[in-house]
Amino acid sequence: MSDLTTDHVAALAAALGLQVASDDLVEVTHRLNALIEVLEPLAALQLETVEPTPGLADGPPAS
Amino acid sequence: MADRTDLAFFGARQLAGLVRDRKVSPVELTQLYLERIERLDGRLRAYITVLPEAALASARRAEASVMRGETLPALHGIPYAVKDQFDTAGVRTTSGSRILEDNVPTADATTIARLNSAGGILLGKLNLTEFALGGTQQFPFGQPRNPWNTDHDPGGSSSGSGIAVAAALCAVSLGEDTGGSVRSPASFCGVVGLRPTWGRVSRHGSFPLSWSMDTPGPLGRTVEDAALLLQAIAGYDPNDPLTSYAPVPDYGRALGDSVRGLRVGIIRELTFGADTEPEVRDAVVAAARKLEGLGAATEEVSLRLVPLAGAIFMALADADGAGVHHRWLRTRAADYDHGTRRRLLTASLIPSVIQQRAARARALLRAEMLDLLARHDVLLCPTAHQAAPPIAAARAAIATRHEAAGRFFTRRSYVTPAALAGTPAIAVPCGFTRSGLPISVQLIARRFDEATLLRVAHAYEQATDWSKRRPPDTA
Repeated sequence: MSDLTTDHVAALAAALGLQVASDDLVEVTHRLNALIEVLEPLAALQLETVEPTPGLADGPPAS
Repeated sequence: MADRTDLAFFGARQLAGLVRDRKVSPVELTQLYLERIERLDGRLRAYITVLPEAALASARRAEASVMRGETLPALHGIPYAVKDQFDTAGVRTTSGSRILEDNVPTADATTIARLNSAGGILLGKLNLTEFALGGTQQFPFGQPRNPWNTDHDPGGSSSGSGIAVAAALCAVSLGEDTGGSVRSPASFCGVVGLRPTWGRVSRHGSFPLSWSMDTPGPLGRTVEDAALLLQAIAGYDPNDPLTSYAPVPDYGRALGDSVRGLRVGIIRELTFGADTEPEVRDAVVAAARKLEGLGAATEEVSLRLVPLAGAIFMALADADGAGVHHRWLRTRAADYDHGTRRRLLTASLIPSVIQQRAARARALLRAEMLDLLARHDVLLCPTAHQAAPPIAAARAAIATRHEAAGRFFTRRSYVTPAALAGTPAIAVPCGFTRSGLPISVQLIARRFDEATLLRVAHAYEQATDWSKRRPPDTA
């Protein structure tokens, strides 16, 4: 995935109605790029057939 | 009778016995902890709100019950404190944020109601990282400090819950663990912290972060105390539809049973990985050897996705949190601490394809863990890759993405596997660094098998004396 620039991040945020102050923008960009980069190896796994369920609690006991 | 400092450091179960036998009065105990808070908490900042009048009034009622010879519940007369993330009727509940500084709930969280029903005396509300997220730079209600070295981080997000137990500013405390928020402060502060199975304890009345991982959990100076508190709060709650109907066993019953023949899997990537500091690795390996000496069988096991667990967790839990906070991010962004705001803004922008991959990888990781737990009674690894870092280290600016990755993902890979899998996990003291900071071993068990988890932790604790040490300057 290509690197996001501060302009990209500001535009993405604006689309959600969020304003990113100039003080925050560089660090938010680093954080987002870091997360995307760290998770890049997941793209190589066969995940399409894995259901993304969180593992729910059990239902009521049988009466 | 023990001196007053010794009494303050007694375990909750021991104190409950003294109250029942009329050797200590609930009023005396409550006054003792209130005096200690008054004397020590200006330095440690464990508490956001202290409730002296209400606590003493409860203590007087508890004392009257004792004197009338009534049947007493398990926590009768025991002073406890809770993370300020749990609603308390008529008592300000801030979640560690200026945004909620005037928030006064009208009802108790289910956990608080149950602790009070069990006879506990609420001393006050404990400090935390803002909205239980971690990464707070400027704490709105004072910088919480590690009792073992006040220049160091006490861990989070249940920071005050760890400090208050370690420094004997309460008998036991309640925290909340989404991705390590009970176990991390337990680790850094040298106390016991238990994350129950997700669904074992009600989340009702606790400010949310991630619906599929949030779970309240106890902190105590002993494994026995963690069991005692879990007993009081566990069980189905109609106000939380995701709590389990599974019966709650007697957690105290298995304490003291032998661990002979139990199978312990040592997670290779977390125990021997390059990120784990040598002092931590050595202490955790020594803990495994101690369990071997008690008759358990150990072997190394591998969880291939564990190094990515921290990032997988943040892609999911932080995105949930961004949803919770979206309205305030739009309207009150300046009222957040800047560390919290930057984390939530980042989470708001995570691409959906990344979230989907993370959700599927989570399911894979959970399947790997459950498979290992089918063949092992518990898994073992460090609770944290290092002892408590200096507070100043967490305040350094992040200038590169590499720094961001190191700061946020590495350490979370130790505590988030249990959160992602929904399994119970416990942090138990297992040593000290040469500089005198606590080290912690983590045990993970099958879903709803807290009894085995507590049994192994208790056996280890009884065979060592790490939990008996006290932080300096807490007499």
